[in-house]
Amino acid sequence: MVNGYAAASLREALEIRASRDVVPYAGGTDLMIENRKGVRYLFLNKVPELKAVAVDDRYVRIGAAVTFTEALACPDVPRLMKEALSRIAAPAIRNAGTFGGNLGNGSAKADTALIEVAADGKVCLASAEGGRVVDVDKFYLGRKKLDLADNELITEILLPKKGLEQYSYEKVGGREALAISRVSFAGVFAAENGKITNIAAAFGAVADTILRYKDIEAMLLGKTVQEAKGLKADYLNAYAQRMTLTRGRVSAEYRKRVCMNLLNGFLTKFGI
Amino acid sequence: MDGIRFTLNGTEVTYGGNATDRLLDVLRDSYHCTSVKCGCKEGECGACAALIDGVLYNSCCVALGAVSGASVVTMEGFRETERFTALEKAFGEFSAVQCGFCIPGMTLAAEALLSKNPHPTEEEIREGLSGNLCRCTGYNAIVNAVANAAREGDGLW
Amino acid sequence: MEKITRSVVKKDHAPKISGHSVYVADYPAEGVLCGKLLHANIARAKVLRVETPELPEGYFYVDAKDVPGDNNVNIVLDDTPVYCRGTVEYIGEPIAMLCGPDEAVVTRLRDACKVEYEELEPALDLRKATETFFDYRFGHGDVDKAFSEADRVYDEEFETGYQEQAYLETQGMMAEPEENGRMFVHGSSQCVYYIHGAVMRALGCGPDGVRVLQDVTGGGFGGKEDFPSILGCQVAVAARKCGKAVRCVLDRREDMEYTSKRHPSLCRYKVAVRDGKVTAMDIDVTLNAGAYSTLSAVVLQRGIIAAPGVYNVPNLRVHGRALKTNTAPCGAFRGFGAPQTFFAVEMMMDHIARDLGVEPLSFKEAHLVRQGDFTSTCGRYHFPVPLPAMIDKIDKACDYRKKRAEYAKPQTGRYRRGIGMSLCFHGAGFTGSGERDLIKAVAKLRKYRDGTVEILASNGDIGQGVRTTFPKIVAHELNLPLDKVYYQHPDTARVPDSGPTVASRSLMVVGELLRRAAIRLREQWADGEEQEVEERFKEPDFIIPFHIDKFEGDAYPTYAWAVNAIELEIDTYTGVAKALGAYGAFDVGTPVDYNVVMGQMEGGFLQGIGYASMEQMNYDDKGRIRNNSFSDYLIPTAKDVPNLYCTLHVEKYPDGPYGAKGAGELPLVGAPGAYLSAVEQALDGVALHHVPFTAEDTLSVMTKEAV
Repeated sequence: MVNGYAAASLREALEIRASRDVVPYAGGTDLMIENRKGVRYLFLNKVPELKAVAVDDRYVRIGAAVTFTEALACPDVPRLMKEALSRIAAPAIRNAGTFGGNLGNGSAKADTALIEVAADGKVCLASAEGGRVVDVDKFYLGRKKLDLADNELITEILLPKKGLEQYSYEKVGGREALAISRVSFAGVFAAENGKITNIAAAFGAVADTILRYKDIEAMLLGKTVQEAKGLKADYLNAYAQRMTLTRGRVSAEYRKRVCMNLLNGFLTKFGI
Repeated sequence: MDGIRFTLNGTEVTYGGNATDRLLDVLRDSYHCTSVKCGCKEGECGACAALIDGVLYNSCCVALGAVSGASVVTMEGFRETERFTALEKAFGEFSAVQCGFCIPGMTLAAEALLSKNPHPTEEEIREGLSGNLCRCTGYNAIVNAVANAAREGDGLW
Repeated sequence: MEKITRSVVKKDHAPKISGHSVYVADYPAEGVLCGKLLHANIARAKVLRVETPELPEGYFYVDAKDVPGDNNVNIVLDDTPVYCRGTVEYIGEPIAMLCGPDEAVVTRLRDACKVEYEELEPALDLRKATETFFDYRFGHGDVDKAFSEADRVYDEEFETGYQEQAYLETQGMMAEPEENGRMFVHGSSQCVYYIHGAVMRALGCGPDGVRVLQDVTGGGFGGKEDFPSILGCQVAVAARKCGKAVRCVLDRREDMEYTSKRHPSLCRYKVAVRDGKVTAMDIDVTLNAGAYSTLSAVVLQRGIIAAPGVYNVPNLRVHGRALKTNTAPCGAFRGFGAPQTFFAVEMMMDHIARDLGVEPLSFKEAHLVRQGDFTSTCGRYHFPVPLPAMIDKIDKACDYRKKRAEYAKPQTGRYRRGIGMSLCFHGAGFTGSGERDLIKAVAKLRKYRDGTVEILASNGDIGQGVRTTFPKIVAHELNLPLDKVYYQHPDTARVPDSGPTVASRSLMVVGELLRRAAIRLREQWADGEEQEVEERFKEPDFIIPFHIDKFEGDAYPTYAWAVNAIELEIDTYTGVAKALGAYGAFDVGTPVDYNVVMGQMEGGFLQGIGYASMEQMNYDDKGRIRNNSFSDYLIPTAKDVPNLYCTLHVEKYPDGPYGAKGAGELPLVGAPGAYLSAVEQALDGVALHHVPFTAEDTLSVMTKEAV
């Protein structure tokens, strides 16, 4: 086809990616709005290896070309992710939008990427030479900058199979549907034997990248809920100090207040 | 180079232009499917909705290369079906069509919804139509029409 | 339900839903040049030079030099240029049009044009604007005395923002030179004779030199009242120069950023209260007109006449101004100046009531106008004012008074609720004597030999249903089946001027002409003959003549009335307000088709809720509008107000067909007041002063309250 390559297998896709100057095309919902001139697309929407959801002993593995609608219908996809998926845009966009595209667009507003960051998700990258696995929060290098080489494709998103049962998810958009996140928040909580083992908090759409501060989270790890309550003020203060937010469709001050309220609400939800 | 082959409203076609071209523009300009309306070109209004392999898409956000081998249905094709007749009748009874610009897309969204969920609740209908903006009706008449089509057209979906 | 009220399947239903209807962008492109406007990108500047790229064969550059007639578009005044006259006055002002067969090439050529400017200081701040387009004053009684005798005086300012019509079909016009030399102009529009007059002037030709047809139109809401005259002149000039058909369809960004929208406003209300009653209002209304005057005169008139709301104000002083800023000209939008002042007066009455320790609804009820009372312009409310019964209806529908009392108690927890009510009217038809002195509507019926009857009038169906309701009226009087009577989109070559499709006038005014014409046709009906009857507007006898110089007399023959309640829940973490219910009772007289009227009420009400909440549009310090797409300017989806309840109250108007009166605009007018009143209650009774009121606004109020 003129100015396009349709790959029938991952191998073929990687070969084209390595040998030609192409833009990977998954769902099209971001790319077609940009409407870049003079580019060639590598169509990934029919690559079978990218269309599957699989489960191994540790991870739910979601293919990069799996659409949001397909994931919503899949029993293996964690509830937290589904909650975020169900609030993305509207059916026609969810039918087109994919996990790989959402991540590959590099936006801090990407609703699935927020969940992946909060869930300690990983992204699998492949090139004709081989593959590598990167933590999703390390995959974002800066505003619209990703740790993705010119010859690589996103192939899978890995979400932990366990540990995502207790969470908070909040999305602030301008309306009830067709809403781009103005602030989004995902928190994951876990405790074992009375001690907090996970208290991940991730903030989307408020800065150049999705924000997560593991060093602040560490303040509460290993503590009992009661102990955590005592540390709550310091913990919240640490976030308030650290978070430098940008303005977008709403002001930075608003974003900050909402983030702090939602973080506080997350702690409260789990008794802290 | 080979053109892009796909089925449009049941007919095999081959598009010789760019794989990066918008499906919306190609449907309107090359195949005269003018029921597909351009409201925004950024996936935010649903007026350009089309069914690709039975699934609802905004055709402004689809590149031609992505429909290679697929079956594309617009209102030009859907209006020949019994399901359309049921929806058309229900929309008519509720006077759900005002300016009409959103309506072909809205009707295809209703078809996509009902084909997945033949007996939706009101909430599910509103969700199903939530990507299709209508500035005229306030949506009540449209929602009622879809609910009615689901009832009256029992068995069609 | 009266027979006329029973709904039918709309005449344009089948072609629209099946996709057969041809909108202006849908005509085949063969032989038609694509036109793209070159817009100014500086708010105020002299245009020193436009460097154009070399034009390939068959491509044209069209600007003011190509205007054969007058380079001024006739709207109310004639200050809007067809193409820029040397100085651009707002970002988006059309400097030129590039035309040619291939859209991509035309776009590239347009983008390659380099405009050299000499920048001038723009006026952008409405509070500092000095150039006044229109300045009106009126009033009655002794306001100063009332203030000096008052035991309480209130002084508050209210602000409203832009609202974009956001019709789903963007503006688009097409001009085709006909072989006989006539210019055929058609497109998405509300007022074919406005366009006809404007194009005649731009081309410098007589009435026979121009023919204007309304194409199927994808929504108007006022946005296609004046703008199509401008775009129509631009394509007509281009077609004359190119010698070929030229079509210009705006893209969404151009349309949102550069075409007319609702005037932002500042309304200052000073109110004197004595013994718990309002004794005087001193009202100052300022509208941001944008760079050219377009329809601002008439928008301002309607706004200030409505300024005291539905209340008896014994002493009244109103001052209204429309000021120039270097921004896109504002124009008509459903409600036409009244949503701004009704918002202000409703909030003002709420605030006074709460300060006095009285429930706002009771306070408002104690001030309501009644039949026979004076209007703000010393005309009369000639007909019953049904607001008390409508308030009861809404109270029953949503348990208003009970909820209002319940939500007034202290609330804790993440989510807080509030409910608010607003009362309003909409003056039916043109303001003042426009109908009698300017429009002088003429409508005709033509009966063919086969017994079918065609309606000849100039009112366009923009979704509001006149292609159905007009034939219903005529068929009803002629005892004909509905399919024997039809009404096509108006074509100035075929129809008389029955006036524009504006001001909620079509059904009430022209519908009545058609009803009378149908009665005459019935009386002289002769089988097998072609017959024609014509009917002309006559002002009803009861009207107290209106004098615009003094703002005195009946500004409107009658009024449509509305009571709106909105219930919402605010998330104190995020400031997001969720609409739990919106309840509207509307009196538009007898509905000539129940579904059509309900469609207007529901659609207009939702637009009003959007205006109050999510529809935010501003310009920056350069005068550029940033909210220029459907992802940055949000309008309600099907999920935003799922519980939208409308009900009709019928107070018949004897001079409208079967008792019908103006309907289209009413449902939008009261929504902002009800919405913000609900927000105030959810936020513990704080006094608020602007719409749209966003989640961000809510959180900043809460932060201030917490300090």
